[in-house]
Amino acid sequence: MSVTINTTVNGKSVSASVEPYASLLEFLRDTLSYKGTKLCCNTGECGACTIIYNGKPINSCVTLAADASGANITTIEGLANGEKLHPVQQAFIDTGAVQCGYCTPGFIISIKSLLDRTKKPTPEDIEEAVSGNICRCTGYNKIVDAIQLAAEKL
Amino acid sequence: MDYFEPKTVNDTLALLAKYGDQAKMIAGGTDIMVDVKYKEEPGCLINIKKIPGLGTIQENGGSLRVGPLVTIREMETSKLVRERLPVLWESCRQFASLQIRNTATIGGNICRASPSGETLAPLLVLDAKAKLAFSDGEKTEGFNTFFQSPGKTSLGDKGMLTGIDIPYPATGSRSVYLKHAVRGAMDIAMVGVAVLITPDSAKNSLQDVRIGLGAVAPTPIRAAKSEALLRGKPLSANLIKEAAAMAASESRPISDQRSSAEYRQWIVEALTRRGLEQTWKAVTGKEVV
Repeated sequence: MSVTINTTVNGKSVSASVEPYASLLEFLRDTLSYKGTKLCCNTGECGACTIIYNGKPINSCVTLAADASGANITTIEGLANGEKLHPVQQAFIDTGAVQCGYCTPGFIISIKSLLDRTKKPTPEDIEEAVSGNICRCTGYNKIVDAIQLAAEKL
Repeated sequence: MDYFEPKTVNDTLALLAKYGDQAKMIAGGTDIMVDVKYKEEPGCLINIKKIPGLGTIQENGGSLRVGPLVTIREMETSKLVRERLPVLWESCRQFASLQIRNTATIGGNICRASPSGETLAPLLVLDAKAKLAFSDGEKTEGFNTFFQSPGKTSLGDKGMLTGIDIPYPATGSRSVYLKHAVRGAMDIAMVGVAVLITPDSAKNSLQDVRIGLGAVAPTPIRAAKSEALLRGKPLSANLIKEAAAMAASESRPISDQRSSAEYRQWIVEALTRRGLEQTWKAVTGKEVV
């Protein structure tokens, strides 16, 4: 059996069918071809698959795709405005916060969500916001620099 | 695999009766999705998130009624939980990561029945009760009997958790939840200890004391012998030492990749001691001597 999902991704209404056990990550990447959201640990531990789901950052790999009917989803592809990058994306480039890049979309989504919640994040807010995102190149200092730079620009 | 989104508790129970142990219930999905991918695909997935009325936190006289679909983040950001049930709030704050807290539910943490489930030792010391629905009626059960073994509860494959009643601790009581893990986030507790004490009116002795231990037995447990040793007595450094050793001896931890059983018992002793010292200081303003 398959289930039909009617949802909104980056402001666009989409409708597609998936297997009922599919994760939201599989739906986004394999069905809708939003490849910016990364498949990494696939068990909800590393944060590479983070998306904004009804206003909140979640791990799409451990969310049931079938549950997303009626949801409002933002992926990394939904951040830039045409050719103009989102301030968080630009800050990652300006501070050199991207190393191998695999964790970057998840981090940027978590940080965008943080800056949606608060314009002046404290060090504790920053720590909480990215505590579920793992960078295996070990580059957290520059990521924190990027968050502070983006917060100043927003 | 069959998939259902029942709209009522009764419809859910009917599906459980039909599919038996082939059925898996899913809410937040943070554990079940991993099982579905890497362990075994169930015969039937029952998504209970569309059932109305199971996702609220309500004050009910001297207790809080929490719906099983309330997320850990909703618990963490609830003023009522923070002010009235600080020991439970503290465990929700230390739970996994923000992304997981946004989807994982309190009902899922309970029904998963992992010995290390973050909220379970706090629920035990709060004397919380589970509201359970079966096809032949409803039942209220304390968590001391609800948890049976890792992953097993008295729900079996026939029942459903429909609510959690959490009585407010006595006025003047103080509590703490202490977690020992390697990392601050996304780490499972090697040991979790919840301590709740109520002093007598003169603040001389312990009128009531409850100690909950997580991750050190097949289920979360209360350190009943240690509690009995302390109850009714004035707290001294010697008594704390004795009670902490007793709590360690009541734990029955396993050795695994996260820690040895022996190490876990040392940590139970240390955290029980620290929990009693901290709560006593919060009550009296003085260090234990």
